[in-house]
Amino acid sequence: MGIRQILAAIALLAGPARAEETVDYRTRIKPIFQARCYACHGVLKQKGGLRLDTAKLAVQGGQEPAITPGNSASSPLIDRVSADEDDPARMPPEGEPLKPSEIEALRAWIAQGARAPSDEQPERDPRDHWAFRPPTRPALPAVEPSRWVRNPIDAFIAAGHQRRGLTPQPPGDRRTWLRRVSVDLVGLPPTREELDAFVADDSNGAEGRVVDRLLGSPQYAERWGRHWMDIWRYSDWWGLGAEVRNSQKHIWHWRDWIIESLDADKGYDQMLREMLAADELYPDDLDKLRASGFLARQYFKFNRTTWLDETIEHTSKAMLGLTINCAKCHDHKYDPISQVDYYRMRAIFEPYQIRTDMVPGELDPEKDGIPRGFDAHPEAKTFLHIRGDDRRPDEGRVIEPSPPAFLVSTPRGIDPVTLPPEAYQPGLRPFVVETHLAAANRRIVEARREFKSATAKLEDAERVAMASPFADDQPGAAKPDDSRPVEGSRLAVIVAARTLEAAEAQRLSVEARSAADRATRGPQAPADLTASVAEAARQEKLAAVAKANEAVSRAELDQFRATPEKKAGLGKKVEASRVALEAARQTAASPGGSYTPLIGSRKTLESNLETEDSRGKPFPRVSTGRRSALASWITDPKNPLTARVAVNHLWSRHFGRALVSTVFDFGRKGTPPTHPELLDWLAVELVEHGWSLKHIHRLIVTSNTYRLTSSSRGVEPDTLALDPENAFYWRANPIRMESEVIRDSLLHLAGELDPTRYGPSIPVADTSSRRRSLYFVHSHNEHQEFLATFDDASVLECYRRADSIVPQQALALENSPLATSAAEKIARRIESARPGASDRDFAREAFLTVLSVQPTEAEQAAVVEALAAFAVASRKAGRPEPLARARVGLVHALLNHNDFVTIR
Amino acid sequence: MTDRDTSGSSRAMPRRAFLADMGMGFTGLALGAMLARDGIVRADEGGGWQPPDGRPHFPPKAKTVVWLFMNGGVSQAESFDPKPELTKYAGKSIGETPFKDVQNSEKLKLARVTVVNDANGQQRNKLYPLQVGFRKYGQCGVELSDWVPHIGGCADDIAVIRSMYTTDDNHGAQTQFHSGRHMLDGEFPTLGAWAHYGLGSLNDNLPQFLSMGNREYWNARDGHYLGPAHDATPIRVDPRNPLAFGKPSGGLGPDEQRVGFDLVGRLDRLKAIEYPDDPALAARIKAYELAYRMQSSVPEALALDSEPKETRDLYGLDDPATRDFGMQMLATRRFVERGVRFIQVQHGAGGAGAWDAHSGLKANHEKNFKAVDKPIAGLLKDLKRRGLLDSTIVLFASEFGRTPGSQGSDGRDHHIYGFSVWMAGGGIKGGLVHGATDEIGFHAVEDRHYVTDIHATILKQLGLDSRRLEIPGRKRLDIDHGQPIDAILV
Repeated sequence: MGIRQILAAIALLAGPARAEETVDYRTRIKPIFQARCYACHGVLKQKGGLRLDTAKLAVQGGQEPAITPGNSASSPLIDRVSADEDDPARMPPEGEPLKPSEIEALRAWIAQGARAPSDEQPERDPRDHWAFRPPTRPALPAVEPSRWVRNPIDAFIAAGHQRRGLTPQPPGDRRTWLRRVSVDLVGLPPTREELDAFVADDSNGAEGRVVDRLLGSPQYAERWGRHWMDIWRYSDWWGLGAEVRNSQKHIWHWRDWIIESLDADKGYDQMLREMLAADELYPDDLDKLRASGFLARQYFKFNRTTWLDETIEHTSKAMLGLTINCAKCHDHKYDPISQVDYYRMRAIFEPYQIRTDMVPGELDPEKDGIPRGFDAHPEAKTFLHIRGDDRRPDEGRVIEPSPPAFLVSTPRGIDPVTLPPEAYQPGLRPFVVETHLAAANRRIVEARREFKSATAKLEDAERVAMASPFADDQPGAAKPDDSRPVEGSRLAVIVAARTLEAAEAQRLSVEARSAADRATRGPQAPADLTASVAEAARQEKLAAVAKANEAVSRAELDQFRATPEKKAGLGKKVEASRVALEAARQTAASPGGSYTPLIGSRKTLESNLETEDSRGKPFPRVSTGRRSALASWITDPKNPLTARVAVNHLWSRHFGRALVSTVFDFGRKGTPPTHPELLDWLAVELVEHGWSLKHIHRLIVTSNTYRLTSSSRGVEPDTLALDPENAFYWRANPIRMESEVIRDSLLHLAGELDPTRYGPSIPVADTSSRRRSLYFVHSHNEHQEFLATFDDASVLECYRRADSIVPQQALALENSPLATSAAEKIARRIESARPGASDRDFAREAFLTVLSVQPTEAEQAAVVEALAAFAVASRKAGRPEPLARARVGLVHALLNHNDFVTIR
Repeated sequence: MTDRDTSGSSRAMPRRAFLADMGMGFTGLALGAMLARDGIVRADEGGGWQPPDGRPHFPPKAKTVVWLFMNGGVSQAESFDPKPELTKYAGKSIGETPFKDVQNSEKLKLARVTVVNDANGQQRNKLYPLQVGFRKYGQCGVELSDWVPHIGGCADDIAVIRSMYTTDDNHGAQTQFHSGRHMLDGEFPTLGAWAHYGLGSLNDNLPQFLSMGNREYWNARDGHYLGPAHDATPIRVDPRNPLAFGKPSGGLGPDEQRVGFDLVGRLDRLKAIEYPDDPALAARIKAYELAYRMQSSVPEALALDSEPKETRDLYGLDDPATRDFGMQMLATRRFVERGVRFIQVQHGAGGAGAWDAHSGLKANHEKNFKAVDKPIAGLLKDLKRRGLLDSTIVLFASEFGRTPGSQGSDGRDHHIYGFSVWMAGGGIKGGLVHGATDEIGFHAVEDRHYVTDIHATILKQLGLDSRRLEIPGRKRLDIDHGQPIDAILV
């Protein structure tokens, strides 16, 4: 139900229509039809041949008549809507029945002749919906005065002002602009030096130079990386205790890829392609494969349908601005997306699963690795779920993969991708071999060291035994074994020797298996190939024997060292280890022709039911190509949605308000753009500039529109009355900083921000880290406390941040160690930059440092007064330096100022 | 120039900013602003929708809610719905008893399985005998287990509802009990969030929605689409450190802090002259003032040492077995007294909730009931003698019950088809049993209630119509609203 309809429905609650009162079709009747009937009786569908999207069509009826004007009693429509809930004829068939007041209104309207405006137009073909037609570059509107127009954005905005009779506010002061653009682009306020340098630079192009500096700074990518992480639902893994149930470990590689990509201004289209299909497009490029963390993020262990539902929903919302998810159980009620379309989309993702590829230097996927998507089941079939119920798949019909049919102008084929051997057998990657070898070598070095030390201990024990020759083997007396140090040491030497043997055998095994891996995939003569494989099988089995042999010696040593009461139990273990050794020997005697290839990747459990066996199966050699087809469709310059949705995301974060306020719904239920031409112009601009996001940022922040003050002071009364919500940008919108920006800014002003980029997420409990906030662990379960107070992103869906104002935020800025210590450090920095400053001067400096503005006369007076009061209170509290303390108090108050957390 | 500014801006002052200035709470404001920003409410649609004004929709019977939630699943048979047949047929499989029909029931289709083939959440067919005796309590003679002697002592104030059901057979049912939705549906506001959203403040010095105790991850937040402003404020029952960032970290004295807060208020107000019509500024000024007061009002409410010995004993504060929960219950009474609207207390930390007795049920429930029985009864008695019970609804619940059959040798599994909760105070009839399960406590068979019926009952007593709280763009289903259980209302 759209808002119009809801509001109308609310209005109807006021009371039933009285017969004598004329029922207005437009405000009373049409909203009911629109909300409850159009989905089946409108332009999308015409069940029973009936359309209700104009009064004329309603009167005309379908296969049966619906309305008899002037006679509600013989109007089947009234019978249908007022039928009993159990009656199959009742309309609407789904949801609550119409309210009595609504039925009454319908009745009265029919009785009064079913009158409607004669110029009423039926619903337009949904394919004609503005967002479903490719954008074309509109001509720039001619506007006066032209000096207001700094770039094309301003022309469109100014045209909007003129059309509506709005008078824009003047630009804000230059310091405010500098703070705005700095926080906006890099997430940090300007330093005092930057502020002075900018104010002093009145040459042409000063602003452009600032923008270039900011966009070129590594901090830009961290700031905007966080925005895109919101949109793409970045989340570290979470689950129950140590069990991963959602997202994946080491997903931060994807975060790093986001930052690097923005830093390099990689095309937005290319970013989407890599996120959706790096495994097909760049199957052996680990750097790019990090992008498919987007797919790994969607992981949900317990329900594959939920997993895919979220993948479909959020790929569509984030990249296309489409609510395809609404078509899961039934055809979309607003957009021409059928339920089959939903499952076509599912078929694109159906084959994919997650695995963690090894990174150089780390064998253990628990410690590091790159979580990524791949097609594990190219043959997997997709069925429509009847009424969206995953227990009721319609197995009579296999659904073929495709994006929503209505948007595909030229259907393109989906070509399977033959993968290079390194992609489906990552053990072939040279660095994987090196990592295995290095680990084996490390083990050998360690084993040698242990052997040396065990030998030395044995020698010591023997020397001691020589000095008291009877210590070890006194006849008769039962002695605990630890009193027989020579024997114990001898056993320990055996363990060390066997360990070394096992380590060396392991290296031979790695070498032989790697050689066989290469032989299997390379242009080898069949005889050589057979020999390599046989050798790998032999070495692998020998390594197993050496390992088993080591285990026997360990078991023997454990038994020897155990207390008498435990000896028997450990004896059984010795026995078992000997049996295992024997078995290994037998296997090695006829090693056969198969071996385990080197492991270079571990598949994530598909569900809680998957066995290790199925998990260990070789990866398919062919990928379906479905996701690269989807990616190429999404990033096709002719796709009507992608670029528009992207520039709208950018715009909303720069201006605190989107051009299309339903940022994830550009469909017919979404809100139309306030500035359709501007949106299209920006979309075309993005595509024609190689999808460069920095290009759009630069256009936006160098526009005149972006410079306007956010104050409505002095505004023309008409302007305020005509557009109180500032939908048409006659001023700037103040924006509450995101939580990350608040924390980062505190650290930055205190001179403490640690600029280290990238790497594993920082635990939320780490209060000493001074790195930027986006590096903290952030998941559904774990939130950094300070950040959570200021509305950190919901990892489930965050197309727009919440910006609440609650007392806990005041407490965090007033009482947290972070804010308190920032206040002290900032005050100290000001003192040392301006030694001996008067209270007035200090106050001015503090304002410029913390808020980037000069205090007004009234503010300065308030501050000077407060400084005195602070000093009195501090003296009363017995502080050693009440005046210095007072200045810290002042800085702390400014950190609590509304405008500290606001982009003005 | 100046004159025109002033008149211009006051005329056009958005209603939301006005509400914030009236102290109606910046919470509704935040949501309103969010909706406008996200295009869900549009300026050109002539202001049909407004956030609630904080007044009830009809005369309320209760002002305050105490929501006691036992994490993990309380066995109904060993608490509020004793079933001697379990003992009689102990060791028999259900199929061998006269009650074998329960397994063929259509009602088994209720379960929407979250975790496929999980070891938990299964039907358990071998009946497990009652692990504790039961007897009649109070004038009303309701039968309750021997593990709840103190709550039993308040039987005449309590309405036991024995016919609850839910649909998630795993602990996502915790979320479900609070929000009314299965976890596979997504995240939805909890009842506390709705009450907080719908009603104004009873005390301008305290947050109106508090949570104490351990929240499991299924259920860590409240506001969801109503916004984080409607999340409960977490409170620790530790007067020295009761709330996050609750006191200055730099050893700032109260006088110094007062100067700081005053200065912030003054500077923000000066800013508001420069930036008229900025609703965020007005809301922030309000938020700061409440924050300042919370620093003292929250520890003051938690100053349990000021309570007399008799009261301490009533809650079991000096017995290690009952001390922790007793302190939370006493703190609850003090928050009720001071006008906190909704107090959510969760008992049972660890795993999926301490009550999750898959094995060792007897020891588990004995210990857990020992911890909560006396303190809860203490709260009921204390509220009653202070005349607060009439206006305070107390709910005791957990996400589901436990199976009539045994899991392993000495446990019970999750059971969603029939379980018990109880309510007291706030216009709820006392000494009453409502609804029933079958002879072995498998299915709710009389007056069945889904969890949102509890929500509807509570909102009705608070004077709220959940349909009028609905926000545009977030259409709720009938089942989300539930039906009030009128039979238990005075």
